[in-house]
Amino acid sequence: MKKKTCVAMLLAGGQGSRLGVLTKTVAKPAVPYGGKYRIIDFPLSNCANSGIDTVGVLTQYQPLELNAYIGSGAPWDLDLTNGGVFVLPPYQKAKGSDWYRGTANAIYQNMAFIEQYQPDYVLVLSGDHIYKMDYNAMLNYHIRKGADATIAVRPVPWEEASRFGIMNTDADNNIIEFEEKPKNPKSNKASMGIYMFTWAKLRDYLIADEADKKSSNDFGKNIIPAMLADKQVMVSYDFEGYWKDVGTIESLWEANMDLLSQPMPIDLHEKQWRIFARNPGLAPHYIAKGAVVSDSLITEGCEVHGNVKHSVLFAGVTIEEGAEIVDAVVMPHAVVRRGAVVRRSIIAEGAIVGPGSIVGEETGNIAVVGHSVTLPAGVKVAAGQQVDEETTF
Amino acid sequence: MKNVMGVIYTGDSDARLRELTMTRAIAALPVAGRYRVIDFLVSSMVNSGIKNVGIIMQKNYHSLMDHLGSGKEWDLHGKHDGLYVLPPFLTRENVGVYSGILDALRSNSNYLTRSKQEYLLLSNSDIIYNAHLDEMIQLHRDSGADITLMYTRDPSMRRNEYGSYISVDESGNVTDIEVEPTEPTLEYSFMDVMIMKREFLRQVVDKGVAHGHHSMNRDILMPIIQEGHCRVNAWEYTGPCWRMDSVQSFFRFNLDVLDAENRKRLFTNDLPVYTKVRDEMPARYGENASIINSMVADGCIIEGTVENSILFRGVRIAPDAHVKNCIIMQDGQVHSSAFIENCILDKQATIKRNAKLIGPAAYPIVIAKNVVI
Repeated sequence: MKKKTCVAMLLAGGQGSRLGVLTKTVAKPAVPYGGKYRIIDFPLSNCANSGIDTVGVLTQYQPLELNAYIGSGAPWDLDLTNGGVFVLPPYQKAKGSDWYRGTANAIYQNMAFIEQYQPDYVLVLSGDHIYKMDYNAMLNYHIRKGADATIAVRPVPWEEASRFGIMNTDADNNIIEFEEKPKNPKSNKASMGIYMFTWAKLRDYLIADEADKKSSNDFGKNIIPAMLADKQVMVSYDFEGYWKDVGTIESLWEANMDLLSQPMPIDLHEKQWRIFARNPGLAPHYIAKGAVVSDSLITEGCEVHGNVKHSVLFAGVTIEEGAEIVDAVVMPHAVVRRGAVVRRSIIAEGAIVGPGSIVGEETGNIAVVGHSVTLPAGVKVAAGQQVDEETTF
Repeated sequence: MKNVMGVIYTGDSDARLRELTMTRAIAALPVAGRYRVIDFLVSSMVNSGIKNVGIIMQKNYHSLMDHLGSGKEWDLHGKHDGLYVLPPFLTRENVGVYSGILDALRSNSNYLTRSKQEYLLLSNSDIIYNAHLDEMIQLHRDSGADITLMYTRDPSMRRNEYGSYISVDESGNVTDIEVEPTEPTLEYSFMDVMIMKREFLRQVVDKGVAHGHHSMNRDILMPIIQEGHCRVNAWEYTGPCWRMDSVQSFFRFNLDVLDAENRKRLFTNDLPVYTKVRDEMPARYGENASIINSMVADGCIIEGTVENSILFRGVRIAPDAHVKNCIIMQDGQVHSSAFIENCILDKQATIKRNAKLIGPAAYPIVIAKNVVI
């Protein structure tokens, strides 16, 4: 196997339980976002655009859709002879088998995969965030700083800092202390869950961590504190651009709505930094006579006969005559029937909103209609309500 | 299905397409918002289980080659067979630019000999269709005919002095053919798609070229059908089809796709149409956008008014711009307060602020690639 300077390991095993019915049958990284993407398109495209061409994707929870989506990696130009994208589920070993017990354990269990490429550096990513970032610039910074670990951080408002993992650094960005959700934050540099490690160092810490029976085998809780305690060279890497955790229904909805503000806080038109996605191969969308469309994102395969305002429609969505969609996110192949009203809602993939039904309200929490749910005619889904196939009306 | 190969000839006559084919073959014409004509043909073949597709390039083949790439989008990049691009080349047998389909096939006899499939499906590239070719192949095999021709009853396919027309008896045999008649008299339009044994084609092509012939329909099919020593069968295609033989027909096809019925028939779930992917973000509508009866591809930004139009990928319509009955190809721009009607904007054409351009519906204005008005 050809040696690689840097191998990326993408942690995609999380259930994303705070996304409720949206992650009942799919892993969080496979959740649709922005009209034609899935969350995992962002780290994968960032890798491809940064020239990191060897990526391990660690899957565990509901992997079917994610595996099918990644496929050979061709949409991200990661179908290579040397390197490429590899889906790495937990596997059976001679001495028993194990699920991934934590983020660090997931990497530990795949050390053999990493070692094949004899990398100098390993980039650890998560599949939970929307952002564009040049990992190669981060790698150069890591090398320049002579660091053992580099952690990407971004400034958060001081009043919110106690919700994040906060890095306290000196003037040279050396990390002095890491505090998970501190009551009295000393800094507003929040960890983005993006770590660059010198592989030889990380390797030792993974092995030591695995031997420690009391460890919860987590990067934030165990590996980073252990490296800090040993006075390894740990630096923070400042990131200023758009970054959004889409871990909750509200934040996923907000992140979609962000694309409708002017100018877009994350530029998805940029030709030099395309976000790639698997293309469903549908015809351009069609806006019928009598439709009213404004302030929205609409993609291939959609048929719009009703009114769509300040919303995001994914591939193959049908909005029938007289239906009204406002401040909503309508995921692939969902159908909103005649006269239905959808406000401040997320309609998941393949769901059908029955004629005259009302989903969501003008204010309040986001309503959700789950994956492939068929909502009967004339029902009402209140703000904040989540509907799955077991919901009765 | 693996026993059939497909060959698409892209050297069709394009005289009446004006500026649209100045730099590209008809097969490479952008249509329906995100496709090229050839996407429909290659996708039909692939959807019918054909895994060996040869594309005979003639002139202006750069844009076609750029579009097809390795054939990946059509799953034609495997180790067995796949996509073969066949541009003209100079060797002892091949003397550069082909002087017609027979010459082109003869020049590529190496490819035809090397291919392993028993049958060969041959298609021109100036008719858009999306066919269940597997049904045609099945009929050909079952009937034991030497050649099977694809035809349609669609009256919009009839032209004076253009195209070929056939008559068919009750048992499906072709009884007569006329080629480029002043006025068609036979009832069905031949769609320039045919299937036969690969070996059979090689023989008739060799013979035809040796006699100095150029036309497949006039010099090969006509004598075969008239002399009656071979069985020529017909398969009726009942789906939608359009001839791309003039600016008007190109314009009409694009606007026809706005009709729900046509769209449903052309883009069916069991016959998806594949094309090169550009990874544009979804189209974005501004606060004051107004749009009706239009087809819009990804990457567009629409802030003005659009009616009865087709917008290809990456088109920008500025606030207060008004676009009516237009086809705007990739990355075209219409600036604010401009008004255009019955226009075809080729790729990257720009209509500047306050410009006004109104073409007659029967003779749309064509703005060539990269032109700024």
